[in-house]
Amino acid sequence: MSERIIIEQTAYKTVYREGSRIVKEFTASHPMSLVLNEAYIHACVEDAGVPVPKLLGVMLSENGGWSIAMEYVSGKTLSELMDENPDNADEYLEKLVNIQLDTGRYRVPHLRNTRQKMIDAIQTLTEIDASTRYELLQRVHSMAPHTKLCHGDLVPSNIVIHEDGSWCILDWAHASSGNAGADAAITYLHYSLERPELADKYLHLFCKKADMAIQYVQTWMPVVAAQQLTKHKESERELLEKWISVAEYQ
Amino acid sequence: MPEKNNEMIGTEQLEAKLAAMRAAQREFGKYSQEQVDKIFQAAAMAANKARIPLARMAVEETGMGVMEDKVIKNHYAAEYIYNAYRRTKTCGVIEEDTAFGIKKVAEPIGLVAAVIPTTNPTSTAIFKTLICLKTRNAIIISPHPRAKKSTIAAAQIVYEAAVAAGAPKDIIGWIEEPSLELTNMVMKEADIILATGGPGMVRAAYSSGKPALGVGAGNVPVIIDSSADIKLAVNSIIHSKTFDNGMICASEQSVTVLEDIYDEVRDEFERRGCYFLKGEEIEKVGSTVIINGGVNAKIVGQSAYTIAKLAGVKVPEKTKILIGEVKSTDISEPFAHEKLSPVLAMYKAADFEDALQKSEQLLMDGGPGHTASLFIDTSEKEKMAEHAHRMHACRIVINTPSSHGGIGDLYNFKLTPSLTLGCGSWGGNSVSHNVGAFDLLNIKTVAERRENMLWLRLPEKVYFKRGCMSVALDELGTVMHKRKAFIVTDQFLYHNGYVRPIEDKLNEMNIQYSCFWDVAPDPTLQCALEGVKQIRSFEPDVIIALGGGSAMDAAKIMWVLYEHPDASFEDMAMDFMDIRKRVYTYPEMGKKAYFVAIPTSSGTGSEVTPFAIITDAETGTKWPLADYELMPDMAIVDVDNMMNQPKGLTSASGIDVMTHALEAYVSVMASDMTDGIALKATKLVFDNLPEAYELGAKAPRAREHMAMASTLAGEAFANAFLGLNHSMAHKLGAYHHIPHGVANALILTYVMRYNASETPTKMGTFPQYEYPHTLQRYCDVARYNGLSGKDDKKTFDLLIDKVEELKKTIGIPASIRDFGVKEEDFLATLDEMTENAFNDQCTGANPRYPLMSEIKQLYLLAYYGKPTKEAEKI
Repeated sequence: MSERIIIEQTAYKTVYREGSRIVKEFTASHPMSLVLNEAYIHACVEDAGVPVPKLLGVMLSENGGWSIAMEYVSGKTLSELMDENPDNADEYLEKLVNIQLDTGRYRVPHLRNTRQKMIDAIQTLTEIDASTRYELLQRVHSMAPHTKLCHGDLVPSNIVIHEDGSWCILDWAHASSGNAGADAAITYLHYSLERPELADKYLHLFCKKADMAIQYVQTWMPVVAAQQLTKHKESERELLEKWISVAEYQ
Repeated sequence: MPEKNNEMIGTEQLEAKLAAMRAAQREFGKYSQEQVDKIFQAAAMAANKARIPLARMAVEETGMGVMEDKVIKNHYAAEYIYNAYRRTKTCGVIEEDTAFGIKKVAEPIGLVAAVIPTTNPTSTAIFKTLICLKTRNAIIISPHPRAKKSTIAAAQIVYEAAVAAGAPKDIIGWIEEPSLELTNMVMKEADIILATGGPGMVRAAYSSGKPALGVGAGNVPVIIDSSADIKLAVNSIIHSKTFDNGMICASEQSVTVLEDIYDEVRDEFERRGCYFLKGEEIEKVGSTVIINGGVNAKIVGQSAYTIAKLAGVKVPEKTKILIGEVKSTDISEPFAHEKLSPVLAMYKAADFEDALQKSEQLLMDGGPGHTASLFIDTSEKEKMAEHAHRMHACRIVINTPSSHGGIGDLYNFKLTPSLTLGCGSWGGNSVSHNVGAFDLLNIKTVAERRENMLWLRLPEKVYFKRGCMSVALDELGTVMHKRKAFIVTDQFLYHNGYVRPIEDKLNEMNIQYSCFWDVAPDPTLQCALEGVKQIRSFEPDVIIALGGGSAMDAAKIMWVLYEHPDASFEDMAMDFMDIRKRVYTYPEMGKKAYFVAIPTSSGTGSEVTPFAIITDAETGTKWPLADYELMPDMAIVDVDNMMNQPKGLTSASGIDVMTHALEAYVSVMASDMTDGIALKATKLVFDNLPEAYELGAKAPRAREHMAMASTLAGEAFANAFLGLNHSMAHKLGAYHHIPHGVANALILTYVMRYNASETPTKMGTFPQYEYPHTLQRYCDVARYNGLSGKDDKKTFDLLIDKVEELKKTIGIPASIRDFGVKEEDFLATLDEMTENAFNDQCTGANPRYPLMSEIKQLYLLAYYGKPTKEAEKI
C-alpha cells in the first residue's frame, strides 16, 4: 500500500493521494446522499466524455463516512500556473474561458437543472427577507431553461493542465445542466471576491467569445450571489448583499 | 417543514377563493349597465376619499417615493379613470347599426389576475379594480410582498364600496401572503392577466399560457431641440423627474441637448435646484445607482440628497435631481440605464441627427417601446416627423413632462388615462396602447344576414326604333357641339356603304371625322393599337363604333388606350369575385371622348354592356375586360343597320341573345330590375328568331324585335351577369374555332338541366341567392312564354324542348361532334378547356357552383349529343 499524502483538509472532508489514486474521504457526519450524489454527477459527466479524472470507486471508509476514489492526474492547476507566471495572466484567462465554453457544449441531461438548483438554494436562505427572495425567485423563473453542462464552480484551481497542454476538470459537486450565463456569473463572482482586478476582464472575454450579452450574465449575478450566500462566509457577505440588492422595475 | 405546509394551505385557500370569485363573477355578469355604473361610481368615490391614508401607507410600507405625489396618483386613478369611462357602455349591446345588421355585445372576460408593482402599490390597485368593476370582471390581486399591506388596503376599500353598492361578495380578491407559487397559480387559473411590473413578472405572465396584458419597463430619452422653449423644457423635466422620486416608468432617464443651447439648458437646471455631478462624483453615483447592470434596490424612489449621501457625495439637501453629464449611450454606462430615482443623464448632441441616434440607442437598450419625449417648436414639422418615425416608442410626448404625459389625460386629452402602458412588440408586449376597460371585454359581433346592394346601370342614352340613327346622331352636333368624330368599323360594313349615312350626318353638322375600318372578327390588341395611332393624331371628342361585337369591343379598347395610354391590360383583366370589391380601380373614361355604339347585328348587346374582349395576337392571350367605365355613353339601336345580316350571323347571334337572357335570368345576381328585361328578351327571341332567320330583310318586324331582344338581353346581363354556359362556350369557341353564339347553343340545354338541379353539389355564393331555385326560375321563363306542364319538372321539360326546337329551326348542329370537331382534338383539349372554363369570369354568377369534373361531364355530353336529361344526373 502506498503512502497517503494529504492534499486538502476541511471540516468535513480529507483529500489525499494514495499512489495513483486520489481519495476524497468525508466525515461520518457528512450526509451520505451528498457524497453519493457527487459521485453520481462525476459519473454522468465522465460518461458524457468530459475530460475528468476517472472515477475508481465509492466506498465506506474506516471512519464510518463515505469516500470517493478517482484517478490521480498529473499536471498543474490553472491557478498554480497563474501564480507562477503572473505575466501570462491573459493567456490563462483565455484558456479558462475556452475550457468553460467547451464544457458548455456537452449535454448531460441527468443532472439537475441550473434554475431549479438556484431556486432551491434561494429558498433555504434565511439571511435575506421574503420580499427579496420573492424577487430573486421571480428573476430565476423568468430565465429561459437551457441545457448546457455547467460546472457550477469553474475556477482556475479546479482545472488541471497536463504537461502536453490537455486538461481536465475537477470537483463536479456543483454541476448542473442549464444556463452558461449563470456559470459565467459564478466564475465572475469568484474573481470579484478573489482577484477583482481580473473580474471584468474575464467577463468581457467570456461574453465576447460566447457571443453573449453582458446584461444576460449580469441578470444572473444577484442569483449566484444569493447561492453563494448559503456558504455563510462572513468575509463575502458585504459584496454578496450588494449584488443581491438589485431592483428590477417592479 | 412548516414552510411547505404553509404553502400547501395557501394553495388550498386560494383555490377556494378563486372558486368563490368565479361564482361571484357569474352573478356580476348578469348586472345591467345601470347597476354596474352605480357600483363603479361608489368604488371610485371610496378610493378617492382614501387617497391620503393610502398614499401615506404606501410610502411607509415601501420606503419609496413621495407621499404627496402618491396622493396625486391615487386621486388620478380614482377620478380620471372614473371620468374616462363614466358614460362608456360596457354591458350588453354597446354598438348597433340596424341598417347593416351588426351589433357589438360586450361581455366580461371573467377572472382577471392583476399583478401590482411596488412603485405604484395603491394607485395601480385602484386603477385595475375600477376597470374590472366597470367591465363586470372579477379581479384577484397579487401584490408585491414589499407592498402587500397598502395594495390590499386599496383593494379592500374599492371592494367594500363596491359590495355596499350592490356588487356580489368576492368580486375582488387578493393573495394575503404573496409567494411566487401563488402568483403563478393565480396567473394560470385566471382568464386574463393584467401584469404591470418588472420584466421577470411580465415574462411569467406571458408564459403562463393565459392571455396577458403585460407591460414593460421604460427608459425615456428626452431631446431638447434648439428650437425648444428652454424654460418650459427644463422645468417640465424637473417636474416630471422628481415626481414620486422618479419611480414612474414614463419618467425621463436621459436628456440630450443640442449643442447650441446646451449651456443655457444647463444653467436653467442648475438655477432650479438640480445638481451637476463633478469629476469622480459621476462614477460614485453611477456605481451606487447601478450594480452589475441592475438598479440598486436601496436607491429606488429615494431623494436626490439620500442617493448622493449613499454615494458619498455632498449635495444641498434640497437638491432636486442629480445630473451626470456623460458621453456614452452604451448600456455599460450606468447613467444610460433606467434609474427609478431622481438621477438623470445629460448628453450633448452635435445636431438633431446625433440626438436622434443617442435617443434611439437609449430607448432600445433600456426601454424599447415605452415612451420617448421631445421638446421642440411645434412648427418644426419635419424634425417632429423624423423623431416620431425613428423612436420605437408607443407614446411620443411633445413638450410634456413624460411621467404625467405618458399616463394620459393630464397634458393631452385624447391619450387614454391609464396606469398600465403597453410597449408593443418592441417591449415584448401584446398591447401598444394605454391599457383600459376595453382590454377587459370580450366583444361579440352579432352579424345578421344582409343582401348586397344591387344596381341597374345602362348607357346614359339608349335610342331605338327603325330609322332613328340620324335623329340620334343629331345630338352630337346640336346638343353636345362635338367637333371631331372617330368612326370604328369593319371592312365589310365600310365597303358596303354602312358608314355613309353617318358620314353624311356628320358632314351636315360640320363635324370632322376620321374612320378606322380594319377591325377583324375576334379583334386583336395589335389592331386596336393601329386604331389608337390614328385616334391620337386625330384627337376626336367622340368615338362612334359601328358593327357587331368585334367592332364595338375594338372601339372600347381604343377608347381606353386613347384616354389612358398607360393602362395595363393584365391589371384590367384581373378576375373579380365582386365587381365593386375588385383590387384594380379602372381609370375614369370619357374625359377625352364621348362613346357612341351602333350595333349592326342582333347579338352581343355590347352597345349596352360594360364588357369587351381583346386578344393579344402575339401571345394568344385573351383579355376579357369588365367595368362600368367601359359602358358606352350612347347606344343607337336602328334595325336599318341590321336588315341584311347573313343567315349564319342571324342564327348564331340570335341564339346568343337567348343565352344572355336565360343566364341573366337564373344568375345569382338577377333582380327585379333585370328579370322583366330578360323575360321579354326570351319571348322576343322565341317569337321572332325563326322568321328573321328564314326571311331576313323580308321580315323587318321580326328583325326589329330581334334588335330589341339583343339590346334588352344586353341590359340584363350588363347588370345580372352571365353564368357557366358562357364560361364553357368561351373556351369551346376559342379551342375549336366555333362562333360564339353557336358554341353557346351547343351546350345550352345541358347547362340548363345541370343548373336546374334541386340538389346541386354546391350552390352559388351570394346573399340574395337563398337556396337552389333555378328550376323555378326556368319555369318562370317557360310560363312567360306560354308553356305549362302539370308540374315544374314537366314545365321545364317543355322549355328545354322549345329551346331544342328553336336551335334546330335555325340550323344549330345537334352536337359539338356534328359541328365538325374531331373527337381526338376535343378529348385532347378537354381537361385544359375544363379548367379554363371553371376559371372564367362568368362562372361566379352561375346559380350552381361547378366542380371541374362536372364541367368535364357537361362537355362530354354536349360533344356526343347525349340526351340532355343525362345532365340532370351530374
